[in-house]
Amino acid sequence: MLVLGPLGFAAPWLLAAVLALPILWWLLRAVPPKPAVRKFPGVSLLVGLIDPEKMPDRTPWWLLMLRVLALAAAMIGFAGPVLNPDNRPAGSGPLLVLIDGSWASAAEWQDLRANVADVLDRAQADGRTVALHAMTAPLPSDDALPFRDAAEWSIRLPAMEPQAWPSDRAGFAEWLDANDAGSFETLWFTDGLANSADESLFAILSESGPVTLFDDGEPALAITGPVISDQALLVEVLRSKADAELTLTISAIGSDPIGIERVLGQSEAIFGASDLKTEARFEMPLELRNRVSRMIIQGVASAGAVALLDESSRRRKVGLVAGVPDREAQQYVSPMFYLKKALAPSAELIEVPLADLLPASPDVIILADVGRLPATEAETLAEWVRMGGLLVRFAGPRLAQSGTGQLEDDPLLPVQLRAGGRNLGGAMSWGTPKTLRPFPAGSPFQGLAVPGEITVTSQVMAQPGPDLSGKVLAALEDGTPLVTGQALGEGKVILFHVTANAEWSNLPLSGLFVEMLERLTASARVAVAPVADLTGETWTPVKVLNGFGQFTDSGLATGVSGERLAEGGVGHDMPPGIYAAGERQVAINLMQAGSELAAMAAPPSNIIIGSIAAATEIDLKPLLLLLALALIVADVLGTLWVSGRLTGPRVAAAVLFMLAISLTGGRADAQSGDEAALLAANNSVLAYVLTGDDRVDAISLAGLRGLSRILTERTAIEPVAPVAVDVESDELAFYPFLYWPISELQPSPTDAAFTKLNTYLRHGGMIMFDTRDANLGRSAGASSNAIVLQRLTAKLDIPPLEPMPRDHVLTRTFYLLQEFPGRWTGSDVWVEAAPAAETMEGMPFRNLNDGVTPVIIGGNDWAAAWALDENGSPMFPVGRGVGGEGQREIAWRFGVNVIMHVMTGNYKSDQVHVPALLERLGQ
Amino acid sequence: MSETRPDHAALSHSGRAIWLRRDAEKITGSLPPLLAEASQLAHVLASGLHGRKRAGPGEDFWQFRQALPGDPASAIDWRRSGRGDALFLRDREWETAQTVSIWADAAQSMNFKGPDSDRTKGERARLLALSLAILLSSAGERVALLGTAARQPRNGETQMQRMAMELARESGKTSDYGSVPLTPLPRGSRAVFLSDFLGPDETIFPVLARAADSGVKGCLVQILDASEEAFPFDGRTVFQSMAGTIDFETQRARALRTAYLERLAARRARLQDSADRNGWRAHFHRTNESPRKALLWLYMGIGVPA
Repeated sequence: MLVLGPLGFAAPWLLAAVLALPILWWLLRAVPPKPAVRKFPGVSLLVGLIDPEKMPDRTPWWLLMLRVLALAAAMIGFAGPVLNPDNRPAGSGPLLVLIDGSWASAAEWQDLRANVADVLDRAQADGRTVALHAMTAPLPSDDALPFRDAAEWSIRLPAMEPQAWPSDRAGFAEWLDANDAGSFETLWFTDGLANSADESLFAILSESGPVTLFDDGEPALAITGPVISDQALLVEVLRSKADAELTLTISAIGSDPIGIERVLGQSEAIFGASDLKTEARFEMPLELRNRVSRMIIQGVASAGAVALLDESSRRRKVGLVAGVPDREAQQYVSPMFYLKKALAPSAELIEVPLADLLPASPDVIILADVGRLPATEAETLAEWVRMGGLLVRFAGPRLAQSGTGQLEDDPLLPVQLRAGGRNLGGAMSWGTPKTLRPFPAGSPFQGLAVPGEITVTSQVMAQPGPDLSGKVLAALEDGTPLVTGQALGEGKVILFHVTANAEWSNLPLSGLFVEMLERLTASARVAVAPVADLTGETWTPVKVLNGFGQFTDSGLATGVSGERLAEGGVGHDMPPGIYAAGERQVAINLMQAGSELAAMAAPPSNIIIGSIAAATEIDLKPLLLLLALALIVADVLGTLWVSGRLTGPRVAAAVLFMLAISLTGGRADAQSGDEAALLAANNSVLAYVLTGDDRVDAISLAGLRGLSRILTERTAIEPVAPVAVDVESDELAFYPFLYWPISELQPSPTDAAFTKLNTYLRHGGMIMFDTRDANLGRSAGASSNAIVLQRLTAKLDIPPLEPMPRDHVLTRTFYLLQEFPGRWTGSDVWVEAAPAAETMEGMPFRNLNDGVTPVIIGGNDWAAAWALDENGSPMFPVGRGVGGEGQREIAWRFGVNVIMHVMTGNYKSDQVHVPALLERLGQ
Repeated sequence: MSETRPDHAALSHSGRAIWLRRDAEKITGSLPPLLAEASQLAHVLASGLHGRKRAGPGEDFWQFRQALPGDPASAIDWRRSGRGDALFLRDREWETAQTVSIWADAAQSMNFKGPDSDRTKGERARLLALSLAILLSSAGERVALLGTAARQPRNGETQMQRMAMELARESGKTSDYGSVPLTPLPRGSRAVFLSDFLGPDETIFPVLARAADSGVKGCLVQILDASEEAFPFDGRTVFQSMAGTIDFETQRARALRTAYLERLAARRARLQDSADRNGWRAHFHRTNESPRKALLWLYMGIGVPA
């Protein structure tokens, strides 16, 4: 290939012919245009005349120029000019095409695939064997790279998709190292993310041959699994390259109360010019937050841009333990009643004895007036709190009487209690009930408004001590602690110095109580199920992400063992998604909080950096040949003009010819299609399906013409001339009724046509199939047309059918009919089976559901009976004599009924109830 | 004439004759029988059906005269004679027929048909010839078709048939331009020449002079195609005569138009002049005009004394 700047020529030697153009010029100039020869008797009068005007006997220069240009264009065209030729040298030997194929490539996957396809095409042209390996896929099972014909890979390429996990470069490097694959050239299409195994992989690949690295250069963006911190959902947003400032919109998506997925909240993640990591914060009401199911980076389609939330980041599990068993009659004084009312909207409540509660791994345990705990239970509970649990205790008579924490430090109480409590505002006390102070700074309740009507009449008292003030989370107006708390291990113990019922204070009656409990539960750390819990169970994927960040059907995905889940890290054996075991669900995210993204380091110097965005080749040959053709046409016209023969009709012909060239057929088609649509949309039109059998089509046309005439004469439906419909190309939506005669010549529609037909049937269209073979006897399904019908309708969405019942609405939409003859009679006519007949009181008719039957199937050759020729006389004999004409009349009536049924739907069906309704109204 | 008329060339010889005859009768149908002027009665030897303003054999009453010795008894008009003593004979007017010689040019040049015409000049000439012959024949004139087997002046249906056959005969290899046959015309007869008169001068004008010398008077009809009158040509063109014997190349035909039209006008002027001097009449007919116009003119030309 000869390359001149951006132009290349496939057959450059043809360009030598251009040198001959000057000779051609001279030759063409020398030869004048051939004169026209005319027979003309008047020549005798002409003899001896001298031409007053000397016509140049040489071709005019511009005509010559046209011809030479046309020839030059053709020559250059045949020399195969290519703009931006692909002049990479042809390679040889086996070629390994290595693709990372991870989520980070998803955004540019189309380009990547096109580039790989290009590489494969070239390899095929060069006759190289190719192995294509995506490092997100499992390692090759045998011990050699699968070098095969490039065409084989080209077939598979379109099915390749980016995966939702990082590429396993380390595994592939190890595998290559272990299996000597011989020498090959490597083209590595990377996703641009750094990996610890990069260096070793480079080294191993370089050993086998030259390596070219293609990187699209786009930074990868990812979002980590969200964490809850300070009442807010927090996600980290990562990018692999810090090249500029960047602001991303992060959306929290979840279902609204109706269950429709919506964006529940949006937040911005702002990268500074050199930031690789930033975070987005979602401050949203708990109620809303609990519904968030995933968070995405807006506008980025990759698995990295999706973070899934499972139950753990939503509703907290709260264990409730009461000191006093519920007494049936007194539920409004039970502390449990108030707690349940307050917590039920925002938390999952577990009410089991304490011993059974801990294995259910609750996030919060609330003890309502529980006195002394058995030592073992106290110990496990303390251990649970130390592991991060939140223990909330409410005081009460039993706690006060038990003396717990009065003499010694109880780890399950934040403060030491004084023996006996205090009563305020009672008959025997001097003081008045105390109200609350505003919550102190540092308290979890900080910022909550304190209503003035909350009063406390009884409480347990904390033993004063030097550290007491640090433990107070809420206090009364006189400074007495009302809520105290203390950290224990990683967890926290909190004590309300009043009861959870309205006995000691009216706090549980107030909204503040609900808010305080919500604050507490929301602040609880999510209980991570210990690894020991995960093992031994198989977690089945509920929803998994594909590389583009969309949920895919997880039907084929295998379960994941608990050990693998505990191990963490996604891969082809565990794609990111939602996994469930029994009731429990976990979300496995691609990125966990704290993970990082980094761009791939510069490769070693022996690695060639390929550019992925090569300008695409443009083949100029068709363009030039078209130009040559246009010039030749211009030359023809010019020659005619010069020789004076471009006159009258020839001018018109030439103009028409030019118009025909400049107008494409497609536009003309579109034009006529629009007209057909307008006609069909503005009028009632009966339509028939073209079968490809001219005779059958002609009968259909005549039949519908006849039916249209009968309809116009007898009913308010006045159809215009019937229309032929090609199910492949025509829009069906305009036609309420399609007559489809079955012919053996009919080819099966394509899948696209079937889709169209199914849509048509589902949205109220009706197709009347006519096998036209009822004269051949009643052996349904055996005739050749019936077999064709089966073939045609195999992919149609046809509901269950039944022979038309005697009370079908079709028998009374206009005429009262009991049989439905066409040219033939006697065969069953099948319509949509009615749902189980609902025989209503006094109503013998079926209460058919709304729709019109989408199909009518029969073999009576209706069109032939309906058919009228241009003069309005029947085209085909029906039956014999007067009886036959009667049958034709009934056939027409049936046609009228069918069209009425199509046009009016169940209106007629309803009409039959009118007498009954009137009768009822009269009563 | 008739829209169902089949293509001329597709018919057999006799078929063409029949069609030609039909066409001819169609255009003559509306004209009264033609009575040729008989001023040259004395010079005509043959008897005919025209009144010669003298007694002789004929159908119409001329005069009663007294019977002379030698008159056959059967000639006596007893009805007249019964009024008196003298015997009278009933003389009839001497009737004689005019002889009209028609020449329809059958040369190649007459086979020309312009792009917008649907008949050749030759067809038009043959049609006019036969129409005229039928008119004359039905008026009792004797008609001859010069240069053909029907050159003997006769009248009647047989002659018509013969003429139609002759006119419909394929012209075969003929010369480029026609010249009047040199057969001597009957003295004092009439002649009609139908041609395009585009041939060389010497084939046309001497014949007229010679005819005038022998007391023959007649009509010239120059039949031309519309394109021959308009010359609508342009561009580089080689013009050829119909037989291909003459050709003429021009670089730009359009430029020759004026010169051509001048020459055509000169030729016509000369024809007119020559006709006037010889006591003939000239008419110029175009094939896209109605043939009746020409036939009417011929009727006038033959019938009105010169």
